[in-house]
Amino acid sequence: MLPSLLNYLKSPRCTADEIFPDLSAANRGLPAITSAPCTHGEGCTLCADGCPTKAIELPTDEKPEVALDLGKCVGCGHCMRVCPTKTIVTSRSTRTAVKRREDLVLRAGRPTLNVDAAHSPFKQSVVVRYVSTGDNATDLEVAACTNPIFDASRFGIHFTASPRFADVLLVAGPAPLAMQEPLCQTLHAMGQPRVIIAVGAQAISGGMFCGGYANANGVSSVLQPDVWVPGNPPHPWMILHGLLLAMGHPLALHT
Amino acid sequence: MNTQPGVFTGALKMDEVPIMQLRARLKSEIGDGNRLGLLTAADGADGHQLLTLIIQTQSGGVSLLNSPLPHDAVSYASLTPDLPQAHWFEREIADLWGIRPVGHPRLKSLVMHDSYPTDLFPLAEHVTAATARKRSRRAPYRFTVVQGNGVFEVPVGPVHAGIIEPGHFRFSCLGEVIENLEIRLGFVHRGLEERLTRCDWRMMNYLVEAASSDTAAANATAHAFAMENLCSVPAAPDVRKMRYACIEIERAACHIGDLVGICTDLGFGAGGTAFSALRGDVLGVAELLTGTRFMTSVIVPFAHKYMPAKPLLIEATRRLRTCSSQLRSILPLLLNNGAAIERMEGMGDIKTSLARDFGLVGPAGRASGIAYDVRKVIAQPEYEQVEWQPPTYFEGDVFARTRVRAEEAIVAMELAADMVSRITSSHEPDSSPATLPANSVGVGIVEAWRGELIHLVMTDSHGRVSRYKIKDPSFNNWTALSIAVRGRLLSDFPLCNKSFGLSYSGTDL
Repeated sequence: MLPSLLNYLKSPRCTADEIFPDLSAANRGLPAITSAPCTHGEGCTLCADGCPTKAIELPTDEKPEVALDLGKCVGCGHCMRVCPTKTIVTSRSTRTAVKRREDLVLRAGRPTLNVDAAHSPFKQSVVVRYVSTGDNATDLEVAACTNPIFDASRFGIHFTASPRFADVLLVAGPAPLAMQEPLCQTLHAMGQPRVIIAVGAQAISGGMFCGGYANANGVSSVLQPDVWVPGNPPHPWMILHGLLLAMGHPLALHT
Repeated sequence: MNTQPGVFTGALKMDEVPIMQLRARLKSEIGDGNRLGLLTAADGADGHQLLTLIIQTQSGGVSLLNSPLPHDAVSYASLTPDLPQAHWFEREIADLWGIRPVGHPRLKSLVMHDSYPTDLFPLAEHVTAATARKRSRRAPYRFTVVQGNGVFEVPVGPVHAGIIEPGHFRFSCLGEVIENLEIRLGFVHRGLEERLTRCDWRMMNYLVEAASSDTAAANATAHAFAMENLCSVPAAPDVRKMRYACIEIERAACHIGDLVGICTDLGFGAGGTAFSALRGDVLGVAELLTGTRFMTSVIVPFAHKYMPAKPLLIEATRRLRTCSSQLRSILPLLLNNGAAIERMEGMGDIKTSLARDFGLVGPAGRASGIAYDVRKVIAQPEYEQVEWQPPTYFEGDVFARTRVRAEEAIVAMELAADMVSRITSSHEPDSSPATLPANSVGVGIVEAWRGELIHLVMTDSHGRVSRYKIKDPSFNNWTALSIAVRGRLLSDFPLCNKSFGLSYSGTDL
C-alpha cells in the first residue's frame, strides 16, 4: 500500500491542457466533404454502396453534390477509405456539435461546423442530467468527461442524479419504445429554462436500429434536441463541445 | 454431433430431440457438468422449434439440439423446474414468440414492456390462424409483493442516479435491510434480433457491435466466428490474433473502468482518479491498433479491416506492457487498503452451488468457484502461447469479484501484448463468400469481459439469415445480483451492483 501511495502521489498531473485538440493521428475520425469534384457521373457509387446506415446521398441532377449525414454516420471509415477523388476525407476535429439537425448533413462548400452565437440561458455553469437509452459505449465516454483527463468540472459542468436540479438533459441511445415515457418524464421533471442534447449517432437517428418494431429511431421521436453531437460513440472532447456549445461558452464558439 | 467452434472444422449439425424428451436429456447433460449455452426458439418447417446449445466443459465441444413443437402448438412443459438457468431464457421465448412454458415458476415478461401491443410477438413469423388463436395475450407486468409488518418498497430507476444504463430495481425492505430485489429489465429492448434478420448480412457486424456497445470487439468477434462457422471458412491466423488482442484490450479497459466505479462507490476518490487515467491509456492503445477507442468496424467476418503496420504493432506491444506494470503498481491502493477491504469482504456473496445452479459465467462465476472460462475450455491456440490461468476464488463476495477483475485485467494486457507482437503481416486478407450456404447454422463463442458470449446464426433455404441469437454473459448473471443483495443494507447495493458490472442493453437486445 505505502509504495503505491507514494508512487501515486508522485505521478504527474494528467489533465489535458489543450482544449478541443484534434483526435490522435491513429484515430479514424469522422468523414468531411471537400470541394473536390466527385466521379459519380462516371458511375462511381463506392462510398454509398458500403455505407451501413445509408448516410450518403449521391449527387442527382437537382442536387449536384454528394451529401453525407453525420447524424446517421457510425464512423466505420468506409467512405473515407474508398473515395477515389478525395471528395470524402477524414476530419479529426473534436468541435463537431451543432445546433440544428440539418447542419449535420455535410455538403461541399458548406462549413462543417455551425457555431452561431445564439442565445444560451446558461453561461458559466450547467448541471446535467444524463439519460442513457441503450448505448453503453456513449455512457462510458460521458463518464470519461468527468475524469481527471477531461475534467468537465473545470468548465462548470456538473452531473446530477436528479432532474430537479438539472439545466441540461443529455440523452444517448436510440430511445426505444420502453424508454420513451421515462425520457419524457425526466424532461418534464426539469425546470425551465432547459437545454436538450442528443449525443451519438444512435441518439440522433437510431443508427443501425432505425426502422424496427421497437421504434428505436432516435430521441427526436419524443424530444426536440437543441444541440446534436455526432459520433459512435462521440469522443469525450466532442461531448464536451456539445455541452459548451449549449452554454454558449466562448471556447466552443471560437473556431 | 460435436464440433469445436474455436477451431472451425466442418459444419455444425443439429440433433433432433423430441420436445417430450428435452427436459430429461438436458437434466442428464447439465448434471454431468455441461453447460446450457443458450435456449431459444426459431421457425421450423412445420411450426416453431426450440433450440438448445450445450457446451461440453470437459471436451470443449458444443452440441445443438432442435426440438420441434407439434404442429400449431404454442406451449411446452417448462424446463426451469429442473434447470434453474433456463428461467430467463423461457421468459424471453414467451415474450418474443408467444410460446408458453407450462409450469414455469415465475413466468412474466422479460423484454416486452406493457408499452407494446399485448398481442405483438415480434419474432413469431410462422403464424397460422390456429397458432394466432392459441397464443394468449401478454399479461401486464406484476412485481412480486413482499408482505409483512413494516415491509416497504423502494423503486429505483429506470433512470438511474449515475451515468449508467436504464433498468428498474424494486427493493422490498424491512428498515434498511433488503428482503427482496426484483430486477425489471427490457427498457432498452431495441428489437436487435429482428433487425439482424432484416439487414444485408455484410452489414450485420455494425449492428452486433451495438448489441452492448461497450463490448463491441467481443460481439464483433463472436459474430465473425459464427459467420465463418456457418460458411466453414476459417479465419487467417493473423486475423484471429488481432481479434483476440482486441477482446483482451477491451477486457482490460472495461475491468479498469469498473475498478474506477468500485472506488467511487467506496467513497475512495483518489483510487478512482488513478484507475481512470490508466483506463485512458489502455483506450489509447485500442485507438492506435484500430482507429477508435471502442475498436468498432474493424472486426468483420472473413477479414480484418485496418490491419496496422508493424511499427504500430511494436508501439502497441510496448504500451500494453507499460499499462500492465502501471496497473500492478497502483492496484495495492485498492486491494491492500484496509478501509476498502472492510467494505468489500463478505459483502454480496454468492455460494458455489448457487453459482452452478444459475449457470453464472465470467468474473462473477470465477469469484464463486466456477472456473469456467471459454478461453480455456474451447480450443484457441492463440491463448496457449503464454502460461496463464484464469484467477478463481471461492468466497464469491465483492472483494473476490474485484480481485478476479483486477487480476484478469493484468493478464489481459499481457496476452494482448503477446498476440500483437506475434502478428506477422499487415496484409488484409479477405475470403468473403459471394453468398451464404442454405439451411445452415453457425455458432461463435468467445470470452467477453463479462463472460461467455454466444452468437448463433441460421439460414433458410434461400441462404438468407432467418434467425440470429445473441446470448450476452449478463443474461446468466442478473439473477445472482438479486440474490447477492438479500439481507444486505440498501446503501451497499451500488457496490454489489458495480462488482458484477452487468450490461442492460446486452440482456435486453
